Amino acid sequence: MWAKLALKLFAREFRRGELTVISAAIALAVLTVLTLSMVTERISQSIEQKSSTFIAADRVLSSNHKIDPAFIEYAQQQNLQTANMLYFDTMLFANDEMQFSSVKAASNAYPLKGNLKVKSSLDGTLETLSHGPGIGKVWLSESVFYSLNINVGDSVELGAALFEVEKVVVEEPDAPFNIFSSSRRVLINIADVPKTEVIQPGSRVFYRQLFAGEPQDIERFYEWLKPQMKENQKWYGVKDRQSPISNSLNRAESFLLLAGLLGIILAAVAIAVSAKRYCERQYDPVAMMKTLGGSRALIRKIYLAHLLLVCLLAISVGLAIGYVLQEIATYYLAKSMATALPMGGIKPWFVSISTGLICAVMFSIKPLLDLFDIPPLRVLRRNLGDTLAVSRIHLALSAATVFLLMWLFSNNLKLSVMLFASTLALIVVLFVVSKLLFGGSRKLGLKPGNSWSLAIASIQKRANVNAVQLVSFSLAIKLLLFLIVLKNDMIADWQSQLPSDAPNAFLVNITENELSPINAYLAEKNIQVSDFYPTIRGRVNAINGELVARSVSLEDNEEKDEDARQGLGRELNLTWRSELPSQNELTQGDWFANDAVAEASLEESMLERLDVELGDTLTFLIGAQSFDAKITSVRKVNWTSLKPNFYIILSPDVLKNYPATYISSVRIEAQQKKDFSQLLRTYPTVTAIDVDNFVKQIQSTIEQVSLAIGFVLAIVVMCGALVLISQVQASLGERMQEIVILRTLGAKGSLIKNAILYEFLILGGFAGFVAALFSDVTLLIVQQQTFDLAGKLHPEIWFIGPVVGGVFVATLGYFMIARTLKQNTQGLVRALA
Amino acid sequence: MSVLSQVNIIQVNSLSKVVSTLEGELPILSDISFNVKQGESVAVVGTSGSGKSTLLSLLAGLDVASHGEIILDGQPLHALDEEARAALRAKSVGFVFQSFMLVQSLTALENVMLPAELAGKDDAKKQALELLDKVGLSHRIDHYPSQLSGGEQQRVAIARAFVGTPSILFADEPSANLDSKNGKMVESLLFDLNKQHGTTLVLVTHDEALAQKCQHILQIEAGKLVKNARGESEDVG
Repeated sequence: MWAKLALKLFAREFRRGELTVISAAIALAVLTVLTLSMVTERISQSIEQKSSTFIAADRVLSSNHKIDPAFIEYAQQQNLQTANMLYFDTMLFANDEMQFSSVKAASNAYPLKGNLKVKSSLDGTLETLSHGPGIGKVWLSESVFYSLNINVGDSVELGAALFEVEKVVVEEPDAPFNIFSSSRRVLINIADVPKTEVIQPGSRVFYRQLFAGEPQDIERFYEWLKPQMKENQKWYGVKDRQSPISNSLNRAESFLLLAGLLGIILAAVAIAVSAKRYCERQYDPVAMMKTLGGSRALIRKIYLAHLLLVCLLAISVGLAIGYVLQEIATYYLAKSMATALPMGGIKPWFVSISTGLICAVMFSIKPLLDLFDIPPLRVLRRNLGDTLAVSRIHLALSAATVFLLMWLFSNNLKLSVMLFASTLALIVVLFVVSKLLFGGSRKLGLKPGNSWSLAIASIQKRANVNAVQLVSFSLAIKLLLFLIVLKNDMIADWQSQLPSDAPNAFLVNITENELSPINAYLAEKNIQVSDFYPTIRGRVNAINGELVARSVSLEDNEEKDEDARQGLGRELNLTWRSELPSQNELTQGDWFANDAVAEASLEESMLERLDVELGDTLTFLIGAQSFDAKITSVRKVNWTSLKPNFYIILSPDVLKNYPATYISSVRIEAQQKKDFSQLLRTYPTVTAIDVDNFVKQIQSTIEQVSLAIGFVLAIVVMCGALVLISQVQASLGERMQEIVILRTLGAKGSLIKNAILYEFLILGGFAGFVAALFSDVTLLIVQQQTFDLAGKLHPEIWFIGPVVGGVFVATLGYFMIARTLKQNTQGLVRALA
Repeated sequence: MSVLSQVNIIQVNSLSKVVSTLEGELPILSDISFNVKQGESVAVVGTSGSGKSTLLSLLAGLDVASHGEIILDGQPLHALDEEARAALRAKSVGFVFQSFMLVQSLTALENVMLPAELAGKDDAKKQALELLDKVGLSHRIDHYPSQLSGGEQQRVAIARAFVGTPSILFADEPSANLDSKNGKMVESLLFDLNKQHGTTLVLVTHDEALAQKCQHILQIEAGKLVKNARGESEDVG
C-alpha cells in the first residue's frame, strides 16, 4: 500500500519538476565520472599503445650484463611477447674507409611495437617494415653510406664477419632522442653477433629485453621480476622516460583527473543544494501526512523510496548519456588519431555508479533526516522546522563526502588535499566576507523606490542565504576559471615547446673549420638554424680539490633518463657560452660577466647529484689536462625543448684553447631536404639527426589531448551551470513571496525585474571576483606542484571573472524569475499557497 | 439525548502548556479542564494569542502538554508517544485547516483518499468520490490544488476530513481565508456532514457568528478557560 502511495507521490513530484534538478545533478555526476574515466582510460590506453612504439615495446628491461634467460622464459609463460637486443660500438669497414658506429643487434621479434622505416636505396621510397634485418644483412643509416662511400648491395666488414648492405634505416621505433648519441646506426640480426667476434670479455655491451602484452600480465611479470633485478638493471615503460611525450601525457592525465574531480565537486554541490531544497519543500506534505495519522516509519519508507527511485532513474540516465557521449567523443578522437580506441574496462562503470550513489545518499541523508523529524504541529505553526542556518552536521558530512569522492576518483591524496583545502578556504573566507559585506552595505543609504536600492535591500535581508549562494556561485565560477586557465596554460606551454617552426634536425660533430662554410651554406639555402654550441667531452674528477671516485669511464649513449647520468666521473658534454641560452632560466647566482674567469653554470639536478653548491670549485678532466672552475650560477633547463641543452656550461675563457666540435639544430622544410642531403654529402663527418617524425608525433598527440581536454571542459561547464541553476531555483520560493508583496503593493514589473537583475549581477560579480582571486592562487600552487609548469598569475581573469560571473548569474536568474513574473498576482498568491 | 451522546469523547483535566523563552517560562495554557460528549459541536473562541490554537494542537495530539491529562476517544493522549498519537489520529481524528493544507502534487480525489491510504486502507476511492460529490466537486476530482479556488480547496479539505469517518473533527479557522460566500458554504458543509456522520466537532474560531452555531462555546482568555456563554455549561467543564 505504502509503495503505491510512494510511487504515486514520486511520479507527481517528478512531473511537477520538483525532482528535476536533483536528478539532473546526480545524472551529471554519474555521466561526468563515466565519460571522463572512460574517455581518459581509452585515450590513455591508446596513447600508451601508440607511444609504446617510442620504445618498440610496452616495457623494457635494460641491463649492462647479459639478461638471465630464466627472465625471458618466465615472461613467455606469462603470455608476454619478448625480443632482445644488444648495443655495442665498433668500427665498420668498407673498401678502404672505416667508420666508428653504434651497432644495434636485434632478434627477429623486434620491434614488438611500432615499425621500422627504411629505403631500399638512398633515393628510394620509404617502406614500413615490422622486422629487422635477416641473417647476414646489415641496415645502415644514411650518414654511414656517405662516410663509407657505399651503396645498397655493397659489403661491409663488422669485426670478423662480412655483411651485405640491404637497406637504408630512416627511422627506428625506439630511436633514442638524444642528440649526443651517435646516429651512425648499424642494424644487424642478433644471431650474427657471435660471428663478428666483436664481443669479448670486458667489452662494453648494453642489453635490452623488450616485453609486450596485456597490462595485467606485464604487471604480474614485473612483480615476479622486481626482487631479482640487479643494480644495473632498469625496468621502464614509455611514461618513465624523460621525453616531451611522457611529460605531455602525464600532464594531460593530471588535467583530465583534475577536471573530473572538479566536475564531481560541482555536481555534489548541485545535489546538496537541490536535495536540501526538495526536502524543505516536502515539510508541509510530511507535516500533513503525520497529522492525518501517517506514522514516521511510513513517511521514512515513502521518502527513502523516492531517494531510491531518483537514484535508479538518475544513475540510469547518467550512464546512458555518459556512454553515448563517450562513444561520440571517442569516435571523433579515434578519427583524429587515425586509430581505433580500445574498449575501456569495467572500472569506469563501477566508479560512476558508486559516485552517483554516494552523492545521492550522503548529500540527501541529513535533509531527509530533518524531513522525517518535521513535527505535525507545523500544520498550525507554519514556520516550525524552518531553519535558516545550514546544519553543521550536514556541512561536515558533505565536505567529508566530497573529499572521499575526490580521493576515490583520483587515487591521488596530494592533489585531493590541495584542491579540497583551497576550496574549503574559499568557502570560509567567502562566508565571513560576505556576511560582513552584506551587513556593512546597510550604511550605503540608497534612495528607496529604485531597482538598485531594492536589490541592495534584498541582498542585505537575506545575508545568510546570500552568503550560501555566494559561496556556491564562487565555487562554480572558481572551478570553471581554474580549469579554463589551466587548459590554456598547458596547451600554450606545449605549443611554446613545439612551435610550428620547431627545429626538426640536429647537426652534430661540426669542426671549427667547417663552421663558417656550413653556416654560409645554410644561409644560402635559407635553412633556419639555431646557435652553434661548441662541445667537448670531459668529466668532473674533483670537488673543492678533493678527488672523487671514478666508477664509470664512458657515457652510456643510449641511456636518456636523468638517473642514469648520476655517476660522478662520467663523461659529460661540456660547452661554453657568454650568453644564457634562451631555454634556460637562472635560479641561483649570476650569469657570467664579460670578464668571467674559470666559472661554471650547473643545471639544477646536476647540483644535487654532485652534492655541491654555489661557490664550490669543480675540477674538470679533459683528456689528460685538467682545470678548475667555480660554480657561479644554477640553471633550470627545459629538457623538452628541441634545442641543444647542457648540464654544465663554462665561461668562455676556460675552454677556448681546447679542440671542440659544434652542434646546432636546424629547421628543414620539405623542399629543402635535397639541399640538406647535399650538405651531408659535402661534409661526411657531420652527423644529422632527423627528429621531424618525432616532433610530428608529439604535435599530433598534443592535438588529440587538447581535443579531449576541450571536451572534458564542456562537461564540467555543464556541471557548473547546474550548480548555478540549482542555487537560483532554491531561492525562487522566497523571491516569489517578495514579488507577490511588491506586486500587490503596486510595484511595476520592470522595477522588480531590474531589482532582481541587479541583485544577481552584484552577487555574480562579487562571486566572480573572489573566484578569480582564489582560482589564480590555487592554480599557481597546482601548476607548480602537479603539472611541473612555471606557475604565473593571470590578472586578466580578475577582470573576466566578475564580468562573466555577473552576466552569467544575472542572465540565468533573470530568465528563471521572468517566468514567475509573467503570472498575474493572483496566480502567484495561489502558487505560493 | 441518545446514550451515545452521553459518552465523553474528549476529557481534559488540569491541562497546562508552558514554553521556555529567553526571559524564562511562559505559560500558554493554565489548568484547563472540560469534557466533550460524542456528537457535540464545540467552538473554542478567544482573541489572538489567547491560546486557542495551542489547545487545539494539544487536543489533536500534535503537541504535548506540560501538565494534565487528555483522554481522546478513550485513549490517554498524554501517555502516548508520537507514533501512537499518529495512529490514534488516523483512526479517530479529521482536520480542517485555515490554510487548507492540501498536498500540492496530488489531485482533489487523491488528497481526499490520502488519510485512508496512510492508514493502509485500499478501498477509500468510493467513499472519497461520494464525499467529493457531497461537497459539490465531483466534476473537479482530477484537478490539482493550484487549479482550484480557495473555497474549492477548503471543500476538498472537508471531504478529506470526513473520509475515514472519524469520531472527532478539529477545524482551525476553516473559513478565515475565504470570502463570505465561500465561507458560508464551507461552514454549512461542515455542520451538515458533522450531523450526517455523528462526528464530534471542535472548532477554533474568532468568528462570533460561527461560534454561535455550535452547541457549546469554550472561551479562552490569556490561557485560561472562561466558561461558555450559551448556558448548558454543566456539560462543558
